[in-house]
Amino acid sequence: MASRQRYDFLLYGIFVAAILLAPLMLEEFWLNRIAKYLVFGMLGVAVALSWGYAGILNLGQGLFFGAGAYMLAMSLKLASPTSLQQGSDKPVPDFMLWNAEPGALTQLCCINKGSFIWLPFQSQWFGVAMGIVLPVAIATITGMIVFRNRISGVFVSIITLALVLLVRLLVIDAQPLTNGFNRLTDLAWLTIGAFQFDPYSRATYYLVAIALSLVLVGARLLVSTRAGLILQATRDDETRARYLGLDVPSYQIFFFVVSAAICGFAGMLYVMVSEFASPTFMDLSFSITMVVWAAVGGRSSILGACVGAILINMIEAKVSETKALVEVWKAVVGLIFVLVVLYLPRGLGGFAHDLLDRWRARNAEAVPDEGLVAERRDTVAERG
Amino acid sequence: MIDTMFIGLSLSSILLLVALGLAITYGAMGVINMAHGEMVMLGAYTAVLSRIWLDANIVMAIPIAFVVTAIVGLVIERVIVRRLYGRLLDTLLATWGIAILIQQAIRLELGLSFFGIHVEGLGPGLQNVPVPAALQGTFHLAGVEINTYRAFIIVVTIALAAVTWLLLQRTSIGMQVRAIIRNPKMAAACGVDVARVNALTFAFGSGLAGIAGVMMSGFKTVFPDMGTPMVVDGFLVVVVGGVGSLLGSVLSAGLLGEINSVVAALKNDTIARAVIFGVVILIIVVKPKGLFSFRGR
Repeated sequence: MASRQRYDFLLYGIFVAAILLAPLMLEEFWLNRIAKYLVFGMLGVAVALSWGYAGILNLGQGLFFGAGAYMLAMSLKLASPTSLQQGSDKPVPDFMLWNAEPGALTQLCCINKGSFIWLPFQSQWFGVAMGIVLPVAIATITGMIVFRNRISGVFVSIITLALVLLVRLLVIDAQPLTNGFNRLTDLAWLTIGAFQFDPYSRATYYLVAIALSLVLVGARLLVSTRAGLILQATRDDETRARYLGLDVPSYQIFFFVVSAAICGFAGMLYVMVSEFASPTFMDLSFSITMVVWAAVGGRSSILGACVGAILINMIEAKVSETKALVEVWKAVVGLIFVLVVLYLPRGLGGFAHDLLDRWRARNAEAVPDEGLVAERRDTVAERG
Repeated sequence: MIDTMFIGLSLSSILLLVALGLAITYGAMGVINMAHGEMVMLGAYTAVLSRIWLDANIVMAIPIAFVVTAIVGLVIERVIVRRLYGRLLDTLLATWGIAILIQQAIRLELGLSFFGIHVEGLGPGLQNVPVPAALQGTFHLAGVEINTYRAFIIVVTIALAAVTWLLLQRTSIGMQVRAIIRNPKMAAACGVDVARVNALTFAFGSGLAGIAGVMMSGFKTVFPDMGTPMVVDGFLVVVVGGVGSLLGSVLSAGLLGEINSVVAALKNDTIARAVIFGVVILIIVVKPKGLFSFRGR
């Protein structure tokens, strides 16, 4: 299997090089779009980790994505010029003023009930930190409850699904605090030192591309650690793993949390690139769409899921340029999905692996390889 | 208060009709049918279309919708779901794809909009179905003012639940379905034609969802995306009630419908749905097998 790993890392290298070199060939306009798709690719990685490797079909990834997005968006909203034009020397989000009761004090502390939770978000780095901390906290608590109770399979999917829809409704209902359906818009740019990340600039693209490369390689290394192997054993037979004396829930919780952290991180990057945060991040269809990307790309291949997400979105962008095709494209996605589940259950990634193995087997035939020949002799002997 | 409870009961009725189909398909076949909500949507559109093209009212649309959605369900089972038995999560994903296809078929007027042909009643817009005069208004029962249409929904649901119960408990095919729910392999070994029974069950469940759609069209707007929340709610009912237990589905539909209407009356609709999700999560955590489930499966 060592050589399989070598091929893997070769492919990862090609991918990383491709996304880092892409700006040389693209117009500026495309950079922002591609950066968004790279963020979606990161979501693909998260889905592959939890679904492909842990066997946990989380239909609520959008919750972690949304949590990360909102945390950073709150900070960037306060940093936005529109928040400073509300007649107070301290920033107050514009929508709060529109919703405020007459005579309410125009201060973040008390403009409406609960607005004080915005106070710490005046620091951008608090928002950035919370963008990881909040998803991790939610995932830890959920994971503890779910996996310690030995809830598995489809029930995990239903709990995570109910959870994301629950939070989505709360965000919509808390309109004075979150601007509900109207989203958080007019955000400032992320600022590091004196440098501002203009969403349409190369700098932002590189930030996203490097982040994705790190997450990708990190995830790949993580699954080949001992913990990653145990996790796959758990996925294939939970009971047997338990009987081997492994503390199954700990591994499940750990990977659930890692996957959530990646989603939260992706959410923050998405806010930087797209300049808004919306409750639609927590729509059921978005969470299922992420799973679709991973399924098409190959659920059990981290790179496959990532490439699947990017590819589908790129095709979608191309197709959507023709207005009449927008609705047709959705139907095509539906069809692709059915066909992939029926005929390519391991997705494009799995298909590529099969091709690769076949190609290597043929090569091995040309240049006889000791091990393989011995293996073949055994098979012949068995048949004989 | 009785008012609210009554609204809750009519809500529960719709939930139950959606959930019955899911309970059977999930319980018997281990298929998570995400396209089930689209059967509700198709049922509602059947009501819209039969009003426009056949001049039929809601009551007459019920049998038509049952037949239409049952046939669509049968086709889905034969063509796609059949190949996925035993792959629970894959059925969820494939049927989600089917759901998108059906939605887009309605939105694009079955593809005819490309040729400049427009079918009245289809397309991306909102549709409305008027309730016949006989079912409008209110009547008094034991001093309480009751909305006639809601009473109609409840009566139809009780009738259909009774029919389903009779089919399951008193007919030979029902016995085969129950056998499959308990243990599909054993049932097959005893000579039950599992493939045929599964196809019929799937069609019947889809038909019930279609009827739910017709009744929803009487008090809600009809649009291509209306099915998605229904399938989610239907699943919550099934999971809370206990997989494979019809009685459980009935009781949990009642429970969730009532919670929804009571909270909606006290706070608002959004919070009501949020509370439902919260309650469901709690129930799954405390009793992962649902409130009422068979032992041993």
